[in-house]
Amino acid sequence: MAKKIAFKTLGCRLNQYETDTLISQFKKGGFEVVDYKEEADVYVVNTCTVTNKSDHKSRNTIQQGKRIKPDAVMLVTGCMANHRKDQLNANEQITYVVDNDRKSSIFSIVDAHFKGELVNPDEYEKDVFGFAVGEETIHTRSLLKIQDGCDNFCSFCIIPFVRGRAISRPVQEVLENARELIRIGYKELVITGVNIGRYDYEGILFEDLIEQILALPGDFRVRISSMEPEGFGEKLYSMLNHPKLSPHLHICLQSGSEAILLKMRRMYTARSFSEMVQSIRSVRPDMNLTTDIIVGFPGETDEDFQASLDRVKEMGFTHVHTFKYSKRDGTRAARAGDQVPEKVKSARSEEMRLLSEENKRAYRSSFIGKQQRLIIEKSGNAYSLGLGEHFVPVKVMGKKLPANSWQLVQIVGIESGDDPALIGELL
Amino acid sequence: MEKASTKRGNSLSEVRVHEVIEVRHLTDTAYVLRMTKGSMDFIPGQYISIGKVASIDKRDYSIYSSPNDEYLEVLIKEVADGMVSKSLRNMKPGEPIEVEGPFGFFQLKPDTLNERKHLFIASGTGISPFHSMVTSFPELNYHLIHGVRYGADAYEKSMYQSNRITVCSSRDGKGDYYGRVTDWLKENPIDQSTYCYLCGNSDMINDAFDILEAQGVPSEHIHAEVYF
Ligand SMILES: Cc1cc2nc3c(=O)[nH]c(=O)nc-3n(C[C@H](O)[C@H](O)[C@H](O)COP(=O)(O)OP(=O)(O)OC[C@H]3O[C@@H](n4cnc5c(N)ncnc54)[C@H](O)[C@@H]3O)c2cc1C
Ligand code: SF4
Repeated sequence: MAKKIAFKTLGCRLNQYETDTLISQFKKGGFEVVDYKEEADVYVVNTCTVTNKSDHKSRNTIQQGKRIKPDAVMLVTGCMANHRKDQLNANEQITYVVDNDRKSSIFSIVDAHFKGELVNPDEYEKDVFGFAVGEETIHTRSLLKIQDGCDNFCSFCIIPFVRGRAISRPVQEVLENARELIRIGYKELVITGVNIGRYDYEGILFEDLIEQILALPGDFRVRISSMEPEGFGEKLYSMLNHPKLSPHLHICLQSGSEAILLKMRRMYTARSFSEMVQSIRSVRPDMNLTTDIIVGFPGETDEDFQASLDRVKEMGFTHVHTFKYSKRDGTRAARAGDQVPEKVKSARSEEMRLLSEENKRAYRSSFIGKQQRLIIEKSGNAYSLGLGEHFVPVKVMGKKLPANSWQLVQIVGIESGDDPALIGELL
Repeated sequence: MEKASTKRGNSLSEVRVHEVIEVRHLTDTAYVLRMTKGSMDFIPGQYISIGKVASIDKRDYSIYSSPNDEYLEVLIKEVADGMVSKSLRNMKPGEPIEVEGPFGFFQLKPDTLNERKHLFIASGTGISPFHSMVTSFPELNYHLIHGVRYGADAYEKSMYQSNRITVCSSRDGKGDYYGRVTDWLKENPIDQSTYCYLCGNSDMINDAFDILEAQGVPSEHIHAEVYF
């Protein structure tokens, strides 16, 4: 009987991408992939450690798997496996702790385990790009990993310590991966990495790579996922109207206060960020811009927070991924004296959330009367849900449309609520 | 910018063990720690993370020496209640020290090195990366403004050509200028084509940034390295 394996992914897109490709490998290798809530022979937890909350969630998830089947193999990987390796190795509930850069060996590790071999994950090869293309992953769009690691060492961030130094995937490999994804039938390629704007492979920079991906034949679109502002070079502006490039950019601002940005050791000012947004909008006025904001960074005053609100309003971010600052051992900000009380962080986070919702509704409403080309993600009798090229959700009521199909719609309305989908009619 | 890498695993940065050569005391609280260089290759302006062997407490220090030197140096100022800045002062020649790096993007633009005017603004030990730059590129056209509390904190001032350095001391009149670097900047407007590099504490950098932008220096010509 096929062995059962269950996966749980916490944290970022990169983790999701890596789990997706692992799922593919295990399916090909004869495993039955089951839901994490079900009984399995192996549980794989792809952890995150960016905040205290994510550490906590990762621990709970490990316990959850062990409660369902105490004698199952528990394999823990992801950023917590790097950041808290000793702690995890000492935890008797865990069978294997696998570093981030050995993640692509997980299939071999589990396979060796069931063949009765003695397994030491630390002896496996390091290879952060050793993931096969997923034919049967969970999503209709696929992530395309171009880079890993980061050297920026922003003062609040644990990622450079757990993901390691920046490394770029060879151009030819990225292009081959992209071609394969297009061949399989993916309609949207989401460019992914830890700090994608720092892509530099033998002098080919991020924007050069995007240009080459866009030039590939096929009916697909490319979405640049989350990026840091310093990755935004001149050439990128000229590509913003490319028909294959989705007009959605998630560029991380983190704070609107110049003083806080300096303390965060970010490499731009709020002023220069704002100028960049103006330049983007002058080329592409309908660009959907989203961002990350940290509230309650050590020393953040009411004025600093107000500056963040002001910048979010001014730049019209249609979604703000708001993080309450969370102390991470080993980072510079964790050693700073003036930590902000939790209550203040929560209040600021709520205020930012409300502003973000307001911006989102205003932006999405602007599509009423216009057209969107959707990729259908969810197909149902009551409605089908697709994502438009601007990364806006659109519902087509009363129509069961084939998943992963293109559909051209006219936007006729918008739902109520805090994450309102647009209502579209087929053209 | 970080060079492209062809390796497949981006392991966490490598920790290397170097050896202390000497501790050179500059003032009661500031010193230069000289270590063996090993195979360390860096660009002037970059920093390393150092700490005692097997200690989890590592701190970042800009590299004070030049890549052309046969040793590696950092300039450290003891911080009141600080853990690492105090403990490193007591290191003895021959003692091992853990070094990670180099890191950082606080670097001069190679294409404009010898053409442009450079303004370096430092507070306290923020002078360290500029020392590395100036000793690495002897042809550099620069002016260094060093903000200190007391004139005696003008670390190794004689290393710089006297017409290229202005020490601004805010608490005594023993520098070249009595006042803060920001006061000096306001009184001495900067040519807009100057490439400006700021290093040290973030309050000084924030104020200096505003003054430079108000004087018309484009933000893409202003680079900052924040220590705290
Ligand atoms: C990129 C970079 C390069 C740096 N280069 C240098 C350098 O060349 N020379 C140098 O002396 N320092 C440098 N620093 C600062 C250095 O990394 C340490 O922060 C400093 O030595 C204090 O460490 P500590 O363990 O003694 O104090 P900690 O125990 O870490 O801190 C004690 C308290 O002092 C505060 N504090 C931290 N740093 C300072 C400071 N510099 N002045 C006043 N208060 C502070 C902290 O917020 C904390 O509240 C650099 C920092 C960065 C980010
Ligand atoms: S650039 Fe992003 S990943 Fe890198 S240190 Fe800063 S916040 Fe972390």
